[in-house]
Amino acid sequence: MIASLNRRQFLSTAAAGLAASALPYRAHAATSPLTMQAAWINDAEFAGYFLGLDRGYFTDAGLDLEYLSGGPDVIPESTIIAGRADLALTTPDTTIKAITEQGAPFKIIGAQYQKNPIGIVSLAKNPINEPKDLIGKTLAVPPVNVISVEAMLKMNGIDPSQVNIVPYAYDPTPLVKGEIDASLDFTTNVPFTIKQAGEDATSFLLYDFGYTIYNDTVVVTEQVLAEKRDLLVAWLAASRKAWAENLADPSVWPPKFAETHFAGTGRSIENELYFNAAQKPLMESAEGYFALTGDGIEKCLSALGEVGIVGSADMFDTSLLAEI
Amino acid sequence: MAGEGAGRHAGLRNAVILLLVWELVGQLGIVAGGALPPPSDILIRLWQDRADYPRHIGATLWASALGFVIGNVVAIAGGILFAMSPLMLRLFRGINIAAFALPPIAIAPILALTLSGMAPRITLAALGVYFVTMTATVIGISQADSRAQDVIRAYGGTRWKVLRLVQLRSAVPSILAGLRVAAPNAVLGAILAEFGGGGRWGLGTYLLGSLGRAEPDRLWGIGLVATVIAGLSYAGFAVLSHRMLGATKAVTLNTAVPAGQPRPGHVAERIAVALVAITLPFTIWWALIRLSGAPAMIAKTPVDVFTYLFLSPASSTAQAKLLAALGQTLPITFAGMAAGLGFAFLLAIGTKLSPRATQAFMPIALVTQTMPLVALTPLLVLILGRGTSLTLWITISVTFFPAFVTLAQGISLVPRSAEELPRVYGGSRWQELRLVTIPASLPYLFAATRLTVPRALLGVMIAEWLATGRGIGNLLNQSRGYLDYGMIWSVAAVSVILSVVFFQIVVVVERRVLARLGMTTSE
Repeated sequence: MIASLNRRQFLSTAAAGLAASALPYRAHAATSPLTMQAAWINDAEFAGYFLGLDRGYFTDAGLDLEYLSGGPDVIPESTIIAGRADLALTTPDTTIKAITEQGAPFKIIGAQYQKNPIGIVSLAKNPINEPKDLIGKTLAVPPVNVISVEAMLKMNGIDPSQVNIVPYAYDPTPLVKGEIDASLDFTTNVPFTIKQAGEDATSFLLYDFGYTIYNDTVVVTEQVLAEKRDLLVAWLAASRKAWAENLADPSVWPPKFAETHFAGTGRSIENELYFNAAQKPLMESAEGYFALTGDGIEKCLSALGEVGIVGSADMFDTSLLAEI
Repeated sequence: MAGEGAGRHAGLRNAVILLLVWELVGQLGIVAGGALPPPSDILIRLWQDRADYPRHIGATLWASALGFVIGNVVAIAGGILFAMSPLMLRLFRGINIAAFALPPIAIAPILALTLSGMAPRITLAALGVYFVTMTATVIGISQADSRAQDVIRAYGGTRWKVLRLVQLRSAVPSILAGLRVAAPNAVLGAILAEFGGGGRWGLGTYLLGSLGRAEPDRLWGIGLVATVIAGLSYAGFAVLSHRMLGATKAVTLNTAVPAGQPRPGHVAERIAVALVAITLPFTIWWALIRLSGAPAMIAKTPVDVFTYLFLSPASSTAQAKLLAALGQTLPITFAGMAAGLGFAFLLAIGTKLSPRATQAFMPIALVTQTMPLVALTPLLVLILGRGTSLTLWITISVTFFPAFVTLAQGISLVPRSAEELPRVYGGSRWQELRLVTIPASLPYLFAATRLTVPRALLGVMIAEWLATGRGIGNLLNQSRGYLDYGMIWSVAAVSVILSVVFFQIVVVVERRVLARLGMTTSE
């Protein structure tokens, strides 16, 4: 066999050998493939997962994790229904609506954000500090989130027709230019962008005005839950560990991803640092990252119930977190 | 060709003037408070972002190139088959019209749902080139010199020999002209499929991801890069065909869907063929779903869509939503189309009085034709906002230029002798226009209308999806958020069917009117 190796084969074999010896021992342990669909492009919202990938926490947990970036036009739930990913980070309102109205076989097994970071962002010079201020104003909302905003408005006694809701393409330019009065966006992110554009922003969370839902809920199909339960528990454990390390000091990790995970997004590292620090209080829970507490689930369901999305506690499966 | 030289100089001069005005307007921040940055800022920004571009461009180029190759192979094979067998051409008429008329944005979400990885982008790019090249092949083959064919036959050559030795060779110029128009289509298709397709790399992905930065100079940079790629692909094939064949100038595609000549008699047979032609697209749709093995919740067959719209408990809600959305989309589509066509018609007639202006205007028309619509829309949003005027302007801009090019070229073909006749009898300029130029341009007005029907609908849907939040474009986008797969498929099916129906209406009206006037259809 050795005699028949030609130069190219020899080189590739040697390279493989070198690569293998350079890897830590854990790479040799058997890992099972698992694919996750993120909810957005690569930014600090997913810093914990990038840390977990780079530090080998997922590999340590026996996972060969494939990470699919999201984006403004990716519907994460569709990816898991199509079988292209095992788990997805979603907004709970669309997920539960899909379960009740479309019969989608989903289970929620964790929640990255205990408080949904989306809120109404406006300029400090034309401030919108509470839902009432929106009446008669133009509010830009991403199509995926229209139902969330209508929910919050109704909860505060405002008919959604009193607000001029236009689609939002995640571009704060119209807000800075005064073409719209407010937009729905991540309060962890867009105030930074607006500051860069030379304006000061003000914002409030939908969560603080009755729309008490989670965000980036970890969703799987019932089939995946049955077949890959161990892997999902391992994913939750590794993700929890990675997030704890990332948020211990939010300024440490984002710069390390500049040339890798964050490359090509066109966003600055200062932006990611702002984001990473801002999201910390929204993710923390006494029961650890990704917690699904009885109280949290009840709040989430009652807020959704206000807009006719009638979910039930059995759409959540808290037993995986309990196994960690 | 002094006239052409002067025209080219004028084109260059106009481009330079345009750039200077743009720079000035940008520097002063006149338009929408700085949403139109000056070209120098855009170039500086491009340079600063240069590290981001290679992989995004690579992904888009890869998908467009692969789609271009696949689409053209299918198109040329199909073109040969259709040219050889009029029956096949008639049977596939439904498919071919649908391929021409379907607004790519309507099926982009469906492709993203049912296919994975780069496949949606490649498919949409391939679909974008199929019709153009197929038509060019059929025309090229059927216009081969019949005397040369007779020579082969006289020496006992088979049908295959005739095809290989004469028809395919003489079809080369036509096919090359088709490839030239097809190339930018492939780029547009690939970028469109990045909407809703996910993935980390690609110009469309970069554009969508960059919308959140409040940095118009970067958006313009991405739009410019996309335009340059599309323009270069066009220019590449233009140079190739020029090298091989010398100058031929067709800047628009041929929109006459080739129709097999129905044989006289046998009404029953004709009806049978027509029925197959109508049902074939649905059969293929159904077969593809069955073959893809995609989950039933996502992948809907024609039967599923019919059930969703008419037989299920939620049908009435679905119908109401769809009709309301159509009620918002259709009027503005027609208004935009009418305005775009009317404006193009007036200007084309006007340029009869000053042909040089036409030539100077042509390069600008060409650039706007190759600029991918998806890249243009966010830029227009920055300038025009998100109201009805945005939709209207997008529709006008996508219909005006192709219509103008078609009309201006058609009008320039009016025989001199016909124009001179009124003059000889002492007619005025106006009488000459009324009696000769306008009637002579009618076939081209119809050709332009055929060309713009699907483009107008595509333009409106993109504007609705990205900006205004009304109509079927928005319904399509919103249904994705609600995981309402039945509605996604319904919107796609309805918009394709509507496009085909409008196209057919134009064809029928065109035949009637031109037959009454004793004219033939322009190609």
